[in-house]
Amino acid sequence: MTSPRTAAALAALTLLTVTACGGGGSSSGDEMHVWMYQDTLVVVQEGAVERFNADHADDGFQAVIDQVPGDNYVERLRTAMGSGEQPDVFFNWGSGSIAPYAEQGLLEPLDDLLAEDPEFADAFLPSVLESGKVDGVQYGIPLRGTQPVVLFYNRAVFEEVGVEPPETWEDVLSLVDDFTEAEVTPFALAGADPWTEQMWLQYLVDRIGGPDVFARIAEGDSEGWRDPAVLEAADMVVDLVDRGAFGDSYASVSYTEGGASTLLSEGRAAMHLMGSWEYSTHLDQAREFAENDLGYVEFPPIPGGTGDPANVVGNPTNYFSVSADGPHVEHALDFLRYTAQDEYVADMVANGEVPTTANAEEVLADSPNPEFATFQYELVRDAPHFQLSWDQALTPEVATPMVTEIEALFNGQRTPQEFVDALAAL
Amino acid sequence: MSATVRDRAAPRTGRPGPLWALPGVAFFALFAALPMVLVAYLSFTHWGGLGDPRFAGFDNWTRLAGDRLMHRAVGLSLLLTVASWAIQTPISLLLGVWSAGRQRGRAVVSALFFLPLLLSSAAVAIVWRALLDPNFGPLAWAGPFLGLGTVDLLGGSTSAFWVIVFVASWQFIPLHMLLYQGGARQIPETLYQAARIDGAGRLGMFWHITLPQLRNTMTTSSILMVVGSLTYFDTVLIMTGGGPGTDTTIVPYLMYRAGFRSWELGYASAIAFTLVVAATLIALVMVRLTGFGSMRSTREGI
Amino acid sequence: MSVVQERAPVNTPGGTRSPRPGTGRIRRRGVGERPNVLGGLGALIWLLVVAVPLYALLIATVQRGENYVPEGPLAPPSDPTLGNYATAVEKGLLGFVWNTALVTVAVVVLVVVLAATTSFAIVRSRRRLTDAAFRMFLLGLAIPSQAVIIPVYLIIVRLGLYDSLTAIVLPTAAFALPVCVLILVGSMRDISEELYEAMALDGAGSVRAFLWLVVPMSRSGLSTVAVYSALQAWNGFLFPLILTQSADKRLITMGLFEFQGEYRVDVPGLLTAVVLSTVPLFVIYLVARRSLADGLMGVGGK
Repeated sequence: MTSPRTAAALAALTLLTVTACGGGGSSSGDEMHVWMYQDTLVVVQEGAVERFNADHADDGFQAVIDQVPGDNYVERLRTAMGSGEQPDVFFNWGSGSIAPYAEQGLLEPLDDLLAEDPEFADAFLPSVLESGKVDGVQYGIPLRGTQPVVLFYNRAVFEEVGVEPPETWEDVLSLVDDFTEAEVTPFALAGADPWTEQMWLQYLVDRIGGPDVFARIAEGDSEGWRDPAVLEAADMVVDLVDRGAFGDSYASVSYTEGGASTLLSEGRAAMHLMGSWEYSTHLDQAREFAENDLGYVEFPPIPGGTGDPANVVGNPTNYFSVSADGPHVEHALDFLRYTAQDEYVADMVANGEVPTTANAEEVLADSPNPEFATFQYELVRDAPHFQLSWDQALTPEVATPMVTEIEALFNGQRTPQEFVDALAAL
Repeated sequence: MSATVRDRAAPRTGRPGPLWALPGVAFFALFAALPMVLVAYLSFTHWGGLGDPRFAGFDNWTRLAGDRLMHRAVGLSLLLTVASWAIQTPISLLLGVWSAGRQRGRAVVSALFFLPLLLSSAAVAIVWRALLDPNFGPLAWAGPFLGLGTVDLLGGSTSAFWVIVFVASWQFIPLHMLLYQGGARQIPETLYQAARIDGAGRLGMFWHITLPQLRNTMTTSSILMVVGSLTYFDTVLIMTGGGPGTDTTIVPYLMYRAGFRSWELGYASAIAFTLVVAATLIALVMVRLTGFGSMRSTREGI
Repeated sequence: MSVVQERAPVNTPGGTRSPRPGTGRIRRRGVGERPNVLGGLGALIWLLVVAVPLYALLIATVQRGENYVPEGPLAPPSDPTLGNYATAVEKGLLGFVWNTALVTVAVVVLVVVLAATTSFAIVRSRRRLTDAAFRMFLLGLAIPSQAVIIPVYLIIVRLGLYDSLTAIVLPTAAFALPVCVLILVGSMRDISEELYEAMALDGAGSVRAFLWLVVPMSRSGLSTVAVYSALQAWNGFLFPLILTQSADKRLITMGLFEFQGEYRVDVPGLLTAVVLSTVPLFVIYLVARRSLADGLMGVGGK
């Protein structure tokens, strides 16, 4: 015999635990959620939210920033976008990283916003706005400084060995020999985070064959991987690995845990190819090194290559996009304008970022390191082409296996030909 | 015979009705059994997590059959299971029997042994990564000291795999040790007394009394190991991310990668369903071997 | 392991164990037997294998972030600090612990109640329905939760529970059920028929038999179930990762990600969070260790 009382008690208990946990589950109606990739630079967006909220003191409408941990940002964004609880405004990498959302009609087109407000539209460098488009429609507004990949080096190590930073590819190869002889790892490489290996391949392909090689691939033509430039670049990677350019223990070195950067700052590695954020990493982790011994140069040209040596790769910037279905679309669009305000740009510069707004040059003098800021700014300004990181430019179902193939190439598990074949088959 | 038990049992008062099982069964059905059915359905769709799944026929399954990564992952998963079993069983058996002794020192030491089980897989993975770092960990000086040069265990194709086996053993041996400890304490002391009178040595007693008496414990523990090795996913995700390359990409990790990195949730469901089928088969074998399913009890029925 | 301790009269504290043949007996080494040198040596080796990483874990928590990589994980910090603990608290670790505690309590309550009633029905009801229910749980025994994460995500989204703690509680509890039902069936089937008959003679219905006989007699099984489900909830990784996102719903395993900048990780901070997050579980373990071992014995014995 089952007692109805027991069943009722059970049901009550279950309900109790469920409601206790569910308390405050859904967001309140009068708040706009702005998703940010969690890092030290978010203070800039926090300033914008403060100004936005101050302007809305009358109607009580509020924006809040949700800081999402970086390692899983992409996964979390996608699960939230599919859940019906989309963020109103969210941080992204533009291009391929938002293409799936655009295809599903989840994003608000921003062309009207730019057309209605030419002053706002002209505030950004056109080349940077370009990467916020999907199929010609604007979905992203730049929100961050530019992040080109440059070759960092340790000045003290170079002095000790008595060599100069590389200007040509021959320099690179002879430096590899010099440093190996001096028992210094020529290049720090964080092989556990294959996107750092991708930077090498991306620069090599661009220098050898120009930006069109990847442009074709990004358009969805996987046969584009069969371009001779890719094979040649892969050959050069294998050559570098065989010469010991990355030492012999790079496969498990992590970038996110600080391994590769520490190798450089401690002088156990001489050079490190990395995004410009590397500067602030060192400033934070090894201030003395960052201020005295951290040098930086452009990626050198490759003999016989047809790519313009002034091209850069990296992240042109990051973007804000607006969810189409959200209840606060109007407010969200209004919020985007705050990214072009003078205060916002000043905050970026004070944080060591190099803004992608048209007036950036005038304010760079206020940067904590004007010299490096100017170097970056000129690098990007003078670049005929700024290529977005491959893994962000491609859709995830192609980018994920591609990054794995790159890792396998660097680890010697694929010959260059196998590598090309595997990519073309994606 | 269970039929006679049922006949005898039915009229007796104080027997609960099947309704008692309803809440538990309904709950399990909704949040565990229904997902298993859904995963089968999703494996016949294309779905990117946005919008609705689109029917895809056998696309995912034909692709899965020809996927070299999947073949590799199945091989790695099998090897992982066998290796984990072969390493964890003898160690936990010996430690469990040793710690079954009631001496206070043994009790304290076994309490320490259990600690790794309290750490989440995430924590364990992070700690071991730090210890095995070729540039900044103890291996950075131990390698050259022993004349081995640079030792990069997580960066090597085979060594990374064995590191996973080791770390998983480190984490789970305590559980199995506890099982064997419990089993060993149930062995009647009289058996040992009789053997001692016959002049049996420690090894002889271990071989002829302890081992046979632990037969059932061993079955249970082995099955938990096999089941557990399907779930070393957290460890792989954090320690190696399936790498170097794809050398530690076991089936659950491949599923995660296809699902939540590439966002091919239909294809990932096909991989996941393969896992469900494998796990169900394991469960069937387990029920056979252990007699878990029979309602035989030491007191009721025969 | 000293001689004094071995000779000392050994007794199980309390005397709360269920009456079970053999378990009440205490194994004691025979007088004049040689100490088990090999066993002790093996245990010592394993002690090192367990203790060294745990030492590395603890030492890292008083290490400064910028010194961790250069000084290596084994050297005592040249400049120890408690700053990591302060930072962990500052970054809201207590909030994560609170969320995790809520989830854990909810999971434990759900699992204990559902597993107990279900097992009672399975052991005592003996109808075809409850037998079928038991079979279903047995088949679910081996299913890894990763395999169904995709449909679970779909169900949670459709129920409108995405990004709530409930979203984590429900599937975590469901996947803990099979093992818990098995454990409880194991301990409930040992309750003697005579006791039920005595209850029935007093005119007790199934509710009273459950509350006054079954629950008290399955105490150790219930503690095992509680500890097991608490471990599952406390260390859960994949469900919180996929089913929640906002900071105020973050659990401790996800909170570890809180200590992570865009391109670097504060390893000592991370490990400090690990240590802090383990403290509550460690306390539970110390309290429930004995009954845990006994409960597991119910699974492995017979």
